[in-house]
Amino acid sequence: MSGNPGKDASPVAHVPEKMGILGKVLTMSYPLGRSTVRASSARTPIHNPLLCTGSGECGKVCPTNAIQVEGSGAGARFELDYGKCIFCRRCVDVCPSGALTATTDFELSTFSRKDLVVAHVSGKPVTAWDPDLAKSVKLKVHRLFAGSLAIREVDAGSCGGCELEVGALTWPEYDLERLGIHFVASPRHADALLVTGGVAVNMRLALEKTYRATAGPKFVIAVGACGISGGPFRGSPEVGGGVDSTLPVEVYIPGCPPRPEALLYGLWMALGKVEQRLWKGELPPVAKRSV
Amino acid sequence: MSEVFPPSIDARRGGDPPLAQSKPLVTQDVEALWDPSERLWQIAIAPSRWRLTSQSCQTLDGLRLGSLWGEDTGRSVLRVHAVWLPSGPGSGLHLVTELPTATPRLSTLLPDVPAALYFEREASEMFGIEFASSPDPRPLLLHISHDFPPLRKRTAPSRPSGERRTYEFPPVEGEGVYEVPVGPVHAGIIEPGHFRFQVVGEEILSLEVRLGYTHKGTEKLFEGRTPVSSVPLAESVSGDTPIAGACAYSIAVESALGLKVDAATQAARGLLLEIERVAFLLGDIAGIALDVGYAAGAARANALRQIAYDALEAATGARTGRGVLTIGGLLRPLDRALGPLLTPRMGTIGKGTTSLLEHLLTHPSVFDRIHGTGTVPLNVALALQLVGPVARASGLVRDVRSDMPYGPYVGRVVHVPHEKSADVEARLRVKAAEVIEGCRLVLEFLADGATEASAAPPLLSEGPTERHGLGLVESPRGEYLTWVSIGPDGRLARVHVREPSFLNWPAIEYAVKGNIVPDFPLCNKSLNLSYSGFDR
Repeated sequence: MSGNPGKDASPVAHVPEKMGILGKVLTMSYPLGRSTVRASSARTPIHNPLLCTGSGECGKVCPTNAIQVEGSGAGARFELDYGKCIFCRRCVDVCPSGALTATTDFELSTFSRKDLVVAHVSGKPVTAWDPDLAKSVKLKVHRLFAGSLAIREVDAGSCGGCELEVGALTWPEYDLERLGIHFVASPRHADALLVTGGVAVNMRLALEKTYRATAGPKFVIAVGACGISGGPFRGSPEVGGGVDSTLPVEVYIPGCPPRPEALLYGLWMALGKVEQRLWKGELPPVAKRSV
Repeated sequence: MSEVFPPSIDARRGGDPPLAQSKPLVTQDVEALWDPSERLWQIAIAPSRWRLTSQSCQTLDGLRLGSLWGEDTGRSVLRVHAVWLPSGPGSGLHLVTELPTATPRLSTLLPDVPAALYFEREASEMFGIEFASSPDPRPLLLHISHDFPPLRKRTAPSRPSGERRTYEFPPVEGEGVYEVPVGPVHAGIIEPGHFRFQVVGEEILSLEVRLGYTHKGTEKLFEGRTPVSSVPLAESVSGDTPIAGACAYSIAVESALGLKVDAATQAARGLLLEIERVAFLLGDIAGIALDVGYAAGAARANALRQIAYDALEAATGARTGRGVLTIGGLLRPLDRALGPLLTPRMGTIGKGTTSLLEHLLTHPSVFDRIHGTGTVPLNVALALQLVGPVARASGLVRDVRSDMPYGPYVGRVVHVPHEKSADVEARLRVKAAEVIEGCRLVLEFLADGATEASAAPPLLSEGPTERHGLGLVESPRGEYLTWVSIGPDGRLARVHVREPSFLNWPAIEYAVKGNIVPDFPLCNKSLNLSYSGFDR
C-alpha cells in the first residue's frame, strides 16, 4: 500500500506508469548530441581512390547504376552517385582491392544535386560543386524558418519505404517536434514540401498542385533514391527522374530509405544548424566540419 | 526445400492419386498436370471453357481466386493465368488459356467471382484483353493513355504520352446526399490514393477508392533483367514489407530454376520474416491508437516498434532489412552473436504488446471507438476472398504458413489467431496476437540455427528452356504472390507480383459503410493496405 491513498483511488492514476511515461527517456540526443549507430550497420560506400585498381566490378553489380567506372587500371574514372545509391553494399562485397568500404556515416544530405556525385580520376577528386549556391540557399532558408519549420509530406510515387522512415520521425525515439519541426496536414500550413518518389506520371499533376497550394516562401526537400534520381525505378516510362524534374529542389536527403537519423540531419542542415558535410566529393570526419 | 507429395484434387474427383508428373489426371477433356515448381495442378483450357471452369473452381472445389494475370509470349499469343488456391490446407489449381494477340477476347468472371474485378481491369489495360460483358471496364492503374498496352512485348516500351483518361464515379443521388473527395495527397504521412465518399449527414453511404497514383511500371521493369539483379526491385514493390517481397520473389525464382535452399538459410529467412511481421503489425496497433486520438498508446506501440526495427537492423545492418536476401539464400550471413541481443528484445515486445492490448481494450475512450466500427462481415470477406489479418479478423482462418507451408514453415506449427466480430477491435486483437506469436517464432528460428546460414552460392542463370515458378509467402498483410517466367536466355520474361492489398483493397469500401466520416481513418488504419503494392 502506498503512502498516498488518493493515488490508488483514481482509476487512471496508474496509467502513466503502465504506459511507460514515467520510464526512462527513449528519445535520442541526435542531432544535438552524437548519434549511436552500431558498427554492423555500416551501409554507406566510401571510395578510397588511392586503393582503387579500376577493376570495374562494383559498377557491374550496382543494381541502380549508381557507380560508373570508365577505363581500367590506375587511370580509370570512378564515379559514385549517392543520389542513385540504394546502400545495398553489393559493390563493397565485390571490390577486389578494398577501395570501397562501408561506413556507418549517414550525414550525406546536400543542397545541390551535383554535390551527391563523387568522382575520382587517377586518385584525385574531380567533382563539380557549387559553393556559392549552397551557401546562399542555406542562409536564406536558415533565416526564414529556423526554430519552426512546418512540413507537408507528399508521396509522389515511392514504394512506401520512405514513408515508414519519415513517419518514424514522430516515434518517441526520434521525436522530431523537439527540434521545432513538425508535419502538418495541409500544404496551406506548410513551409516546406518533403517529397518522396521519383514522381510517377500519375502523381505529377497532384504534386504540382500541392506545390502551388503551398504559401511562399517555401522550399522542397527531395528524399530517398527515388526522390533524387528515380532510384530502383529509374528508366521506367511511368516514373520521372526525381523530384527536381518537376519542382525546384533545395535539399537532397539520400538513402533507400534514409534512416531517421539521416532525415534528422537533412532537416537540421536545411535549417542551417549544421553545415553540409559531403563537400567537394569528400566526406570529412564529423569533428572537422560540424558547427 | 523438401518436396511434399501433393495433396491431390482427385480425392474430390474420385480415383487414386496420380504419381507426380508421370500420370496426368484426366477428367473428361481437361488435363491436369502436377507442377512441382509451383506446387499446383496446372490445367490448360480453351478460352471458351474459361468461365465455366473458373466457376466450378469456386463453387465445386471450394477454391479462391489467388491471382489472375496476363502474359505476352511474344509469339502472337497472349496467355491468361489464374491461380486458384485452397481456402484451408490443401493444393490449388493454375489455369492457363491462350488468346490470339490480334483479337484477345475472354468472358468475364464477374459477377460470380467478385474478386476477379480488379484483376480483369488490370489485365484489360495492361494487355488489351477484352473481357466480354464486363460490368466495369474502367481503367485501374493507368490514368493517362498509352501508345499500346504497356505489358505487351514490343521493341520500344509503351509511353504514357496520350490524354488523361476519363474516370467516372457512380453518382449517388437523394435528398441531403453530398460527396466528399479525398486525396490523392492525404493529411498523414501515407501513400497517395483517391477516396470518393457519398455521405448523408455524417454517415457514409458509399465509398469508392481510386488508386494507381504510385504506378511505376514495376512488372515491366523486371523484364529482360537477370533474376539476381532484380532482387532490389522485388524489395521495392511494397517498401514497408521488403523482406516478404524479396522472399516471395526468391522462392519463385528458386522453384523455377530448381534451386535447393539449406535449412539454416530457411531459418534465417523465417527469422527475418517474423521480425518484419512483428515490427509492421506494431505499426498498425500504433496507427489504431493514434486514429482514436490516444497519443500515449501510439507512443507506446511505436516505442515497441522501434525495438523491433532495431532488432532487424542488428540482424541485417539495415533497419528495414533490405539488401540481405537474395536468390538461393543471403547476401551476407546474420550476426552470429544475435541470440543474446534478440532474446530479451523479443521478450520485451511480447510482454509490452500483451499489456498494451489489455490497456487499450480496457480504456473506455479507446474501446468505444473501436468496438463495432468498420465491420467487414464474413460473407463479404468470403466473396472478396480476403487474405491476411483482415480475413482472420472476419473469421476466415487462412494463412499460407499453415495452409501451403513454404521454406521456413515446412513442418512447423504456427498458431493462427482469428476473431469473429470483424470490426476494428477484432483486427486489433488479431494483430496483437500475431505480434506475440511472431516473437515466439523469432526465437524458434534462432534456436534452429538462423545465424548459422552462410552467404548464397553463385547462381547458374542459363537454361535450356522457358521455366516458371511461383512464390507464396505470408507477409504481414497476408498472402504475397509472385510468379516469374524465365526465358531460355536466363533473363526474366515476365514477373507478376500480387501483393495482399490487391485482394484486400475492396474491403475498405464495405468496412466504412454506415460508419461516420471521422471514423474513416480508423477503418483505413486497421486494414493498413499498401498503395504501392497495389499500384506497382
